[in-house]
Amino acid sequence: MLAAILDQSSLFLQQLVNGITLGSIYALIAVGYTMVYGVIQLINFAHGEIYMMGAFLSFSLLSGFFGFGLPFGLAVAVSVLVCALAGILLDVVAYRPLRRAPRLAALITAIGMSIFLQNLALLIWGGQIQSFPQNAIPALLSEPALQLGDVVISWLQVVILSTAIFLMLALHLIVHYTRIGRAMRAISQDKTAASLMGVNVDRVVSYTFAIGSGLGGVAGILVGLYYNAVYPTMGYFAGIKAFAAAVLGGIGSIPGAILGGGILGLAEVFGGGYISSSYSNGIAYAVMILVILVKPTGLFGRHLRDKA
Amino acid sequence: MHLDDRLFTDKKLYLPLLAAVLVLPWLPMGIAGPYVLRVATLTLVYMVLALGLNVVPGFTGLLDLGYVGFFGLGAYTAGLLTVHYQWSLWLVLPLAALNGAFWGILRGAPTLRLSDDYFAIVTFGFSELIILVIRNELWLTRGPMGVPGIAQPDIFGKVLDQPWQAFYLILFFLFLVLWVVVKIRSSRLGRAWFAVREDEIAAECVGVNVASYKIIAFALSAAIGALAGAFYARWFRFIHPDMFKFWESILILCLIVFGGMGSITGALLGALILIPLTELLRIVLPAELSNARYLLFGLIIVFMMRWRPAGLLPVEKE
Repeated sequence: MLAAILDQSSLFLQQLVNGITLGSIYALIAVGYTMVYGVIQLINFAHGEIYMMGAFLSFSLLSGFFGFGLPFGLAVAVSVLVCALAGILLDVVAYRPLRRAPRLAALITAIGMSIFLQNLALLIWGGQIQSFPQNAIPALLSEPALQLGDVVISWLQVVILSTAIFLMLALHLIVHYTRIGRAMRAISQDKTAASLMGVNVDRVVSYTFAIGSGLGGVAGILVGLYYNAVYPTMGYFAGIKAFAAAVLGGIGSIPGAILGGGILGLAEVFGGGYISSSYSNGIAYAVMILVILVKPTGLFGRHLRDKA
Repeated sequence: MHLDDRLFTDKKLYLPLLAAVLVLPWLPMGIAGPYVLRVATLTLVYMVLALGLNVVPGFTGLLDLGYVGFFGLGAYTAGLLTVHYQWSLWLVLPLAALNGAFWGILRGAPTLRLSDDYFAIVTFGFSELIILVIRNELWLTRGPMGVPGIAQPDIFGKVLDQPWQAFYLILFFLFLVLWVVVKIRSSRLGRAWFAVREDEIAAECVGVNVASYKIIAFALSAAIGALAGAFYARWFRFIHPDMFKFWESILILCLIVFGGMGSITGALLGALILIPLTELLRIVLPAELSNARYLLFGLIIVFMMRWRPAGLLPVEKE
């Protein structure tokens, strides 16, 4: 009897650890959606593809796919940097020309870019699931950091969680205590007024894309390591779930995105563990639809601009 | 005068077109014949889909990112009814369309007050849920095993087992849908939709019952998608959840973006150009490249929005 209860509770704790790990990754991606939405009111559908590129770039740099290999730390840094630049490029090439166009045009363009990037990855890396070369990543990551009975927390999970927390704190400091952060907040309140006050809107939007995409790239690398699987459609599902997290938290709100990511990660792991694993993707869709229908502002969101 | 208005009034326009389509199955094409006819039939299916989708984003200005959900719903409704009860196409097809309309209304009713992008997201999530249910409820749909052995279309008790018969059949449905859409477009209902598209608040102020007109658009659009799905199931004789992935929604959206959102001739033209092109790419490109042919659709969407946001055959604003 006691053993059964202990079994149950250790299963619960293990699920909790896994859920928090997953949630912190969703939060990292969700922040990218929410930041971009905050400044230009665009659902950047291609954000999931940036995340996918982060995973593929680090995979390529570690496995020598491009003909040369880099040490782990450098490979991660280069991948994140390229993701940040890709984010800026995405905005400049695809979205910036449409700033004055109807919002629908930008949204459709975002979907077009998402398909384009996903198929570009398919073209470059092929459709099969690839895994990181085991000798290129630090061996420590796969070892358990903490073992309590049957509950195992791996170093990788510790790294994922601490990276996420560190980046979120850094983001908080950037948004609230730097010039660029103040400019972002100003633009999200009133773009015209901000630009009249001398804020260079295009520059700030570029920074926003760079930060959001960099975080997305980090998330891609972490997920690639966590599941040890990299494939072109990985950004699609992760993107949807992260977007659902952003909506749940209130789109435009960074703390909301973090909380939403955590809730969604836990919901997915517990829903998958206790209800039905085949519907674990469905949880994200259902949460997304319900929040939009019942409380479109989410947990922390401001009132959305109405259709005008 | 826009081409849409002349579709059924200008004899010089539609008679040559009709003649060209009617002789297509009888052209001497040798061994390529069956293949060309298959692609032509598929193109007509997508023309119906493009016309159906066009009703929502094109006429009412709301972006639908989940049209494939209704296509799949219609295909499974028709496929399962046929497999289990051996009913005639002429019973199964209207039932599938009704089921589509029902879910279209169910999806549309709660979304009436949503802003543009939230509406798009709900349509997307809803369609993914439909396909997820189809994939997972094995007792009903056989899930990933698919539904094989669906009976071919029939008419007056006679089975239509020749490829050209299926071609003429979908051609008939295309004209039926086209007739409905063209008539509605120039009716009071159509004008109300355009009013909602141009300015919802102004439309409401002058007494347009925005909610009910939107619901009608959702129902009509979903019914057309389900009808296309029902035909597809009976024609292809096998359905599988993987046939109804999100990318299909985007492909259909791409057809109308390419042709010009809101333009009926544009929707037809989009399908007429892009669907055979896809099939051509499948043959011409090596296997690894042809898997990535959706790349082209992504680019088309981006380029159209950038340089020709109104499409190839834009609808002039009055």
